[in-house]
Amino acid sequence: MSKMAVIGFGAAGYHGAKAIRQLSPEAEIHVYSNEDPALYNPMLTTYYVKGAIPYEAMFPYGSAEEAAERLNLRYHGNCAVTGLRPETRTLRLAGGREESFDRILIATGASAIMPPIPGLELPGVVKMRTARDALELKALLDSGTVHSGVVIGASWVGIKVVEDLVERGAACTLADGADRMFSTAVFPDTAQRIQRDLEAKGVAVRCNQMLSHVERQGDGRLAAVMKSGERFSADMVAVCIGVGMNVGFLRDSGLALGRGVQVDRRMRTSCEGIYAAGDCCEAPDLQSGFNRNIGIWANAVRQGAVAGTNMAGGAAEFDGNFLVNLGHYLDYDFVSIGDSSSCTQADRHCRWETGRYFIQACRDSQRIKCINLIGGAGCGGVIKNAFLKALASPGAALSTQTVCLLRQEGFPDGFIKFLGGDCLDGA
Amino acid sequence: MTEHEERLKAKIPGEDTGIEIRHSLCAICSPSHHCGLDCYVKDGKIIRVEGTPEHPYNHGRICTKGSSQRSYIYREDRIKTPLRRVGARGEGKFEPISWEEAYQIIAERLGRIREAYSPNAVAFYSGYSKWYRPLYQRFAHVFGSVNFGTDDSVCAVSMKMGNKVTMGGGAAPDMAHANTFLGWNYDGYYSHHLSVEGVRKLKERGGRVIIIDIRCTPAAKNLADIFLQINPGTDGALALGMARLILKNGWADMDYIEKYTYGFEQYRELVEQYPLDKVSKITGLKPEDIYEAAKLYATNGPACTNFSASALVHRINGFNANRAILCLMAVTGNYDRVGGNYPVPASYLRQPAGFHTRDEEFRSEKYPGTAERIGAQRFPLWNAQFDEFQAMDLLRQLEEGTPYPVKAMFALGFNAKMFPESSRLLKVMAEKLDFIVDVDLFMNMSANYADIVLPACSSVERSELKCYRGGYLVYTQPAIAPLYESKSDVDILCELARVMDLEDDLLKGGYEACVEWMIDGCGLTLAELKTSSLPVKVPTAQWPVKPGKYLKEGFKTPTGKFEFYSTAVAAIDPKYGLDPLPSYVDSLADQDDEETRMAYPFYFCTGARKPYAIHSRLHDTPWIRTLQPEPTCELSKQDAVHMDLKDGDTVTISSPYGSIKMKVKTTSKIKPGVVMALPGYTKANVNELLGRDHLDPYSGFPGYKGMRCNITKCQEEKA
Amino acid sequence: MKRVFVFDESKCCACSACMIGCMDQNDMDPAAGDPCFRQTFDEELDVEGGQVYCAYLSAACMHCGDAPCIAACPVGCLKKDPETGFTIYDNTNCIGCKSCALACPFGAPKYRPSDGKMVKCDGCNTRVKNGLQPACVRACSFGALTCMTEEEYQAAGSGKACSALLSRYAPKKMI
Repeated sequence: MSKMAVIGFGAAGYHGAKAIRQLSPEAEIHVYSNEDPALYNPMLTTYYVKGAIPYEAMFPYGSAEEAAERLNLRYHGNCAVTGLRPETRTLRLAGGREESFDRILIATGASAIMPPIPGLELPGVVKMRTARDALELKALLDSGTVHSGVVIGASWVGIKVVEDLVERGAACTLADGADRMFSTAVFPDTAQRIQRDLEAKGVAVRCNQMLSHVERQGDGRLAAVMKSGERFSADMVAVCIGVGMNVGFLRDSGLALGRGVQVDRRMRTSCEGIYAAGDCCEAPDLQSGFNRNIGIWANAVRQGAVAGTNMAGGAAEFDGNFLVNLGHYLDYDFVSIGDSSSCTQADRHCRWETGRYFIQACRDSQRIKCINLIGGAGCGGVIKNAFLKALASPGAALSTQTVCLLRQEGFPDGFIKFLGGDCLDGA
Repeated sequence: MTEHEERLKAKIPGEDTGIEIRHSLCAICSPSHHCGLDCYVKDGKIIRVEGTPEHPYNHGRICTKGSSQRSYIYREDRIKTPLRRVGARGEGKFEPISWEEAYQIIAERLGRIREAYSPNAVAFYSGYSKWYRPLYQRFAHVFGSVNFGTDDSVCAVSMKMGNKVTMGGGAAPDMAHANTFLGWNYDGYYSHHLSVEGVRKLKERGGRVIIIDIRCTPAAKNLADIFLQINPGTDGALALGMARLILKNGWADMDYIEKYTYGFEQYRELVEQYPLDKVSKITGLKPEDIYEAAKLYATNGPACTNFSASALVHRINGFNANRAILCLMAVTGNYDRVGGNYPVPASYLRQPAGFHTRDEEFRSEKYPGTAERIGAQRFPLWNAQFDEFQAMDLLRQLEEGTPYPVKAMFALGFNAKMFPESSRLLKVMAEKLDFIVDVDLFMNMSANYADIVLPACSSVERSELKCYRGGYLVYTQPAIAPLYESKSDVDILCELARVMDLEDDLLKGGYEACVEWMIDGCGLTLAELKTSSLPVKVPTAQWPVKPGKYLKEGFKTPTGKFEFYSTAVAAIDPKYGLDPLPSYVDSLADQDDEETRMAYPFYFCTGARKPYAIHSRLHDTPWIRTLQPEPTCELSKQDAVHMDLKDGDTVTISSPYGSIKMKVKTTSKIKPGVVMALPGYTKANVNELLGRDHLDPYSGFPGYKGMRCNITKCQEEKA
Repeated sequence: MKRVFVFDESKCCACSACMIGCMDQNDMDPAAGDPCFRQTFDEELDVEGGQVYCAYLSAACMHCGDAPCIAACPVGCLKKDPETGFTIYDNTNCIGCKSCALACPFGAPKYRPSDGKMVKCDGCNTRVKNGLQPACVRACSFGALTCMTEEEYQAAGSGKACSALLSRYAPKKMI
């Protein structure tokens, strides 16, 4: 009977454990988590804050204890793992105890980055990642004392905090250190359009603004003081400048690390018997060929399942690693598929605007490199599929059905041709 | 959700859910069909419909239109109570009144007009549907009026007249035994959906299919071995050209011609005038394609033909175009033969079912015959062949008051949008008529002109007698009670007969008494019919009808033969210029002067079927509306490029008679120079573009599917 | 027994009876912007050689064997029905984030503006479990759309587009 460890109990850890259990009914599976509560979905926190879902819905698989019982796991809550000896697959646990395993899955996820600058400990300064963060922000907003807010970081989380504030009628300023919103995901033109549309919804957007520190003003409000010297005063400051991978405990382990644990397509780390999945790992990226983390829920689910399957003796590969982002807020959506930084002058750059859509895209003769799409998330999957098809098989055509769907949904003919629709894939 | 909640949500019939399936029929489209309907009923409401699997006609299948039943009957514009007009005619201001009061007003006003003028001054008119017509026609006659007229003035009667004068009756295709199917204007996918299976089966057993149409339809794609995309309006020329090829190449059945036909030599002379190159030029088809089609049709027999009810005859040359195609059957010996076409006599409501009822006798036995019907002088062939007034002469008679004035209209389902120059008709009606009654399901543009409006109920809210192929008869039961205060059309007629004290015990006895009288002798009583919610086999029925009867006994024509040369047409006063031979004239012959040609260079064809529309009936039905939200015309992609038009642009379509605005859809399925659109939209009524005199002189039918128009891009402010 | 939807393009005319059947079964209110779970397509596509291909199609959720939408939903709304194999859902906690739509190669999940939630075809799961056909299949008069068990499908052995398989990745160019 094999003995397995899963470190971290989020989407990757859960699906890892679940896959192991499905293939090995007998396996002894230990799950370690230092989070309380665990097994929440970080993407849902802001939805809980705005009242779209009840508290329990942040836990799509139930509480950690319920999930552990369902999958017959030995769940060690509030139990941090502080070190790893790969050669013997030994974990050092909080308190110094050690435990060895046949296989280990590292699924420790990521945490919100709070830079070491003054003022972030002040009441009214919040971050947004965990279920606990959500409880705190909701309590703060429910208290009725927040009439204005500053959000630092035009990130995927930041924009959702903006939504929470706007929907409650609070005046909102969004500040970001980069020269544009979502700078790593979208082209400058798209960013400009997104910014304009957000401003039209009453949000002040300030780019090129790095946070210096936060201080309490004489009137009791907070001030986010920027390195430029500008001050943004508000009742609340949310710091949403990104996440860091929870791999600190692995620094001395000898495991190959970049920003996160390096894994191959089977989610194997550099050490035999040790796997990693989810937001703490960097897997091969289809587009660039390099390893990177693309921290979306579906990836964590899929990677966890792949790792668990392989750990239990099955064979599975994760082949879905490519940049894809979906922004959805204030009755607005945009999708970015592919890596905008991979585009060069030599590529074909296109732009389409219709009443319904704003599209900016780039490709070479073989592959689609990046697509930004505002207003068309409903067809995001169809377009993503065209992107993937071309990635797997350069010059790929679209199916009849895809062309028909995109036309009916009002996409410009030029864009459909761009995706590969100038010839049909006769199935 | 609990399992019970899931079953409720999924509408699973059962005692636990309280959902019951009740049989009814769908009467949205033509009475040739009226498929059996399973209504899922809960708490007196229909919550879903399906086709009835055990139904001998449709075997569970219903079409797009029928599937929308619930959205149709629960429309918000259903008329809820009897209404009396309180505003000006057309203004749409009404007040609710009781049924009693409505009946009293109608009885009194119609009575007064009968006294002051004559019973014939009251025109009794019916639009859709047709199920109550035996009672309604009798009602008009018992009232004393010769003027009973219906949408048959523009529906399929021109075709039926052609059949009658040529060979004495209809021509049903014997799909089951044919080797070749000539689908002239056939698109079963868009109209008569149940027919597609027969064509597929023919193909599966190696049969061949020729489709002739002005647009590339799903039938052309899915079924055709040969598809001839013909210039609109030129079918008659093609049929004559095919006949010439068949005769010239020795593919004709000379034995059949000799034995069973009349007027062959004159006909041969006519077809000689249509050599291949000329026909190719007229029809826009390649000579070799015409040749291949003619050869396949004539040499791969037996061959049966589809005769579409209206597509051909909705042109001013339509009557003879249909006759020209009929003649192909005789030339190839395919009429009244196995695998060809054969007559199927009508049983009830002019639909064939293989047994006899007294429907026609019921309609006509009280005919007063006191005057000529509306249109009789203008359309003598129509008048001689069909016992209704020709409604296409109504506008003229109203305006001119000759040969006598018409002072009232009593209508069931009056739809002015069906008439050429619709607004003009309504305006003249408003001016000239003393009294207008309209019965309808929905409040609409035409009902707005009535003085009294009465709410009818739909087929699922009533009982009705209906026959089906195969020897079946059914007396349906209501699936739900009539909505609001609505009533069945026949109950309205019978109750009114009582209030007016018409001299007819049958009408005063009610619908069931009338039905009993009509079906007497068929071998089933109404009481027996009522024991089944599904069609039952009529004991006297003979089905299938066997071809060959008329070859043996002679056709029901004046000569007893298949008449290439129609003696019935020849009997009409020569001053009308009707040709007894199926000669070809241009379908725009009356719009052919240089000025009109230049100003209106496009060929406008309206009413070609779409699967989600029939006439105007479904345009305002919410589910259906999602399929085509805006009145839309189709234009070829080539024309669109020249005119800088793209899908969704607004265009103005104009004619010498008016103009309308529609959205445009560009397509490769129709030829350049052609514009196609659906009729019946209130805000874009195509018949405003149709001149009142653009009519087929043989039948009086309007050229819905062949008139001139112009189309221009509409410079609108951007929304 | 697992079911698959099978679509035979050679029998379809995009008459949209399937859509109307779906609207009837699911009480859709188009005026409120309710999207129909099934869509039909009547489109003309340019193909090589200057020809035009008239496409008549009907499409809804393909009920993929390994449905990517299930993993994509952050709230866990979606799952497989073990009996029918249909991809079913309970959108009580749906946040309308469109992650499922971003996962779906066919555009099956749709946003419903009236409640801000995602909806899609559930194969008429309860009807099928009660021995009835899915509403769209029931409404198709031409045999273009059918629903059969996997066994029946395999026995039929045809090359028709089977909904359960995500097998249309390999490109073949149409002449």
